[in-house]
Amino acid sequence: MGKPTDLVQGTLDLLILKTIALEPMHGWGIALRIRQVSKEVLQVNQGALYPALHRLEQSGWIRAKWGESDNNRRAKYYSLTPAGRKYLEQEETNWKRLSTAIGLVLETF
Amino acid sequence: MRWFYKVPLRVTSLFRKRRVEQELSDELRFHLEKQIEEYLAQGMSCEEAVYAGLRTIGGLEQIKEECRDMRRVNVIENLVQDLRYGVRMLARSPGLTATVVLSLALGIGANTAIFSLINAVLLKTLPVQNPQELALLQWSSHGWPDGVIGNVAGDMGQDKAGRMTSPSFAYALYEEIRGQGDVFSSMLALAGNGSDVNLGYQGTPGRADGELVSGTFFSTLGVEPRLGRAITTDDDRFAASPVAVISYGYWERRFGRDAGVVGRKITVNAVPFTIVGVSSPEFYGVQPGRAVDVWLPLHTQPLVEPSWSRQGWNGSGAPPVDALFATRGDWWVVIMGRLKPGVTFQPARPELEVLLQQAMARDIKSSTKPETIPHLDISAASKGLNDLRDQFSKPLFILMAVVGLVLLIACANVANMLLARASTRQREIAVRLAIGAGRPRLIRQLLTESVLLAVVGGLIGLLFAFWGTHVLMAFMSSGRDPVVLSVTPDPRVLGFTAAVSVLTGILFGLSPALRATRVDLTPSLKESGPRLPGPAQAHGGMRMGLGKTLVIVQVALSLVLLVGAGLFVRTLTNLEEVNPGFDPHNLLLFGIDPTQDGHKGQRLVSFYQELTRQIAALPGVRSVSVSANTLVGGGRNAVMTHILGYTPKPAENDKGVFAAIDTVGPGFLETMHLPLVLGRGISEGDTEASPKVAVVNETFARNYLSDGNPIGRQFSPGDPKASPIEVVGVVRDAKFFDLREEIPPTIYLPYLQTLTGEHDAVLGALGAMHFEVRTASDPTAMASAVRHIAQDMDPNLALYDVRTQTDQINQTLFQERLFARLTSFFGILAVLLGCVGVYGLMAFATTGRTREIGIRMALGASRREILGLILHEVFVLLAIGIAVGIAVALEASRVVSTLLYGLKPTDPATLAVAALLMLSVAAVAGYIPARRAAKVDPMVALRYE
Repeated sequence: MGKPTDLVQGTLDLLILKTIALEPMHGWGIALRIRQVSKEVLQVNQGALYPALHRLEQSGWIRAKWGESDNNRRAKYYSLTPAGRKYLEQEETNWKRLSTAIGLVLETF
Repeated sequence: MRWFYKVPLRVTSLFRKRRVEQELSDELRFHLEKQIEEYLAQGMSCEEAVYAGLRTIGGLEQIKEECRDMRRVNVIENLVQDLRYGVRMLARSPGLTATVVLSLALGIGANTAIFSLINAVLLKTLPVQNPQELALLQWSSHGWPDGVIGNVAGDMGQDKAGRMTSPSFAYALYEEIRGQGDVFSSMLALAGNGSDVNLGYQGTPGRADGELVSGTFFSTLGVEPRLGRAITTDDDRFAASPVAVISYGYWERRFGRDAGVVGRKITVNAVPFTIVGVSSPEFYGVQPGRAVDVWLPLHTQPLVEPSWSRQGWNGSGAPPVDALFATRGDWWVVIMGRLKPGVTFQPARPELEVLLQQAMARDIKSSTKPETIPHLDISAASKGLNDLRDQFSKPLFILMAVVGLVLLIACANVANMLLARASTRQREIAVRLAIGAGRPRLIRQLLTESVLLAVVGGLIGLLFAFWGTHVLMAFMSSGRDPVVLSVTPDPRVLGFTAAVSVLTGILFGLSPALRATRVDLTPSLKESGPRLPGPAQAHGGMRMGLGKTLVIVQVALSLVLLVGAGLFVRTLTNLEEVNPGFDPHNLLLFGIDPTQDGHKGQRLVSFYQELTRQIAALPGVRSVSVSANTLVGGGRNAVMTHILGYTPKPAENDKGVFAAIDTVGPGFLETMHLPLVLGRGISEGDTEASPKVAVVNETFARNYLSDGNPIGRQFSPGDPKASPIEVVGVVRDAKFFDLREEIPPTIYLPYLQTLTGEHDAVLGALGAMHFEVRTASDPTAMASAVRHIAQDMDPNLALYDVRTQTDQINQTLFQERLFARLTSFFGILAVLLGCVGVYGLMAFATTGRTREIGIRMALGASRREILGLILHEVFVLLAIGIAVGIAVALEASRVVSTLLYGLKPTDPATLAVAALLMLSVAAVAGYIPARRAAKVDPMVALRYE
């Protein structure tokens, strides 16, 4: 991943990857979890969530599997592929470096 | 490892569109339901919750479309899109599409048909286990190995270094080599000469192609029979009861696929055999092109071919039954071996060479010249014995080149049509470029269209090829030695066709696509409609340049093919006009072998005499005679002849001279209408008891008996110690083997005098003979009467080679006829395609110049002048094309010079006729659009936009 990623898009990707790193989740679950963990600060727009999920799947970072949700309803569960896990680590490091840098700049002035 | 997840996804997105769509809806609906549930939990009413949920999620369709966009990232979908668009574009101009597809189908079909033959003859391996392990033994020597080899039966030829080569060995050598060495895991032997046998079943005789094989034949090849068992080493002994394995094809033809055939009795040349097996359908033996009907154990040879057994016997008295197996001078078995796993050809050769030299050591005499001692060669036998490859590889490659050129011409046509169409599509392309389509994307689109054309052409071409190969195979089996091949399309042929189609598509599509997309946008967009560029426009001019070049190439290549066709057609007519030296009309020929039913010695002679007498008594028969070989029938027997009182010329062998020899019955010369020049012919009185006599031809007399009167001179064929034969007559020269050869010095001997057995070593014992029946009218009408007489005399005998002399001569011209027909066909096809090219180019050019023509006419130019103006351009193109074509033809025709007869490859008449024909046909093709242009109404032309 040589080229710089778009901040917003990159951020959403990072959030999705991080969210499903623990266990497979469906789209609704991902949106809900992000909202809860960020204490309602981050609202994921569905219009952006699903295209992002499909793009990540097409790129081979995540894979999808149909499974049973509560009330026996079928839902599409997303999980990380091994390549996706590595990608997540890489992106996390990138993000930390970036946010530290931004923090430094903000504190200095 | 990401591809591991990506590839299945791509495949699903492509081929299971509906499922992917369904899953997308399901996924989003699930999300919506969850959202609604949440709103309900917050205390909203049902209606409110649904409304709020829908609002939160935003346009469902928009999300879906975005998700689809995420998936639509692969090349394949673009390709599908391009294909769809291509099909639409091609369907829009069905006439053009049909012409293009048809010309490509013809070109690709012709290429596939010829390639199928090349595949069957040159590329296919034997249908046996691991054919790459099989090796064929061969020997080569500088000159005849005197003392070591007496006779060679089977193939014999010369290699490029001028060495004598043959795959035939003495049986004793096979046995000795087989026992030793650790190169081969097993070895097999088969008789080098195929033998036509009389296979009797339930009292009915029939001809069959028999092959004598060792007991290791089937096991070494690793071939399992379809029914019953194979011939084993236990069967291949003198004491064993005779068994036979029949081929699948023969089982079908003769036994109607009767499953109970195993265990049945048949007779092979009147000797009872038991059928023990039927081979598998794909196994035809080890010689491509030949279809063996029945395999017999090698050691049944003395039973099946008693007369041949005697051939090698030089001792006195009756030869022992195993003569051919015991004598070391008769080289008649072909040896193949299967290399042990891990052994390669390179190290195997020296080891086998040592074995051969050891085995031959006691045969080498002090008189044997060292350079004539045979040396061993070993060659890969994965494709079987190579007679057919030797015979057909050059003709097939020439044909392949011819059809390749036809395809090129077709491609040029298609390129020209696409160029013309591309310029009418210029606006479309300009629009697409202007709204942001990438040039590579557009080129890909245009290429997809041309490859699509080529692939459709290729598919139809396969149908043409299927039909074409059948016609070709029918033709191949009409020759003197019918060639039976399996040409069913296999992966190699289909791969070839696919590759040719795709390459063709790219070849003819690339340059128009490159040109079409290199447009200057502004003027193109300004045009009000799909206007044709005039010659003044820069791009149009360039395009016309390419178009003209293509047409010049087409004319040149067509001319080359036309010249080739002319050369081959004239070769055929030259050969057909060759005077064979005898009268081939009203002559019925047939062969019969009474030894196959046990007739021998005096009984055999009586049989021939009685048959001759009865046929001669038929109404409409002028005369009847017999001979060992028929004239121009492919049978050739050439012997070393020692002529008394003749001093060999420096270039000749001091042992004697080679002469063609035939043993004939009384009345042969008269029946064939071979006029005597001197002395007398062969009469009833020349029998076993009378002095030995011969008639020779003029060439023999001129070459060897020129000092003094040839009558009364003596010679001895073969062994110089044998009692000499006296020349009693000289007969006019006649063709002996085929029509191409120079007439050889020829000797005719009375067949009754061969009964003494003295010359059996060179002539073979009296056995099968051919009959010549001179009739008053149509000889074919006589065939059934003759057959009846023979059947009445011995119902166990089958007649073979029943045909007229003219048919027989025609069969020898089979390859020439094949070439003449195919090259004419392709030549005409090429010219037609070339004409389409000329027509297309001129039609396009004149339409583009309609306005200019209108102006010229308005300014006072006459129709004649306009016509002249355009025709001038046509003729300049044709003249350049023809000049180039003649230059190429002069160079290319050298390759075929050995296939020609009676003319040089640079034959000026052929060149002139071909050039004239090309010029006139192409001129007509150019004249039609020119005349149409000249006829145009100036007012219409001026308004033309």
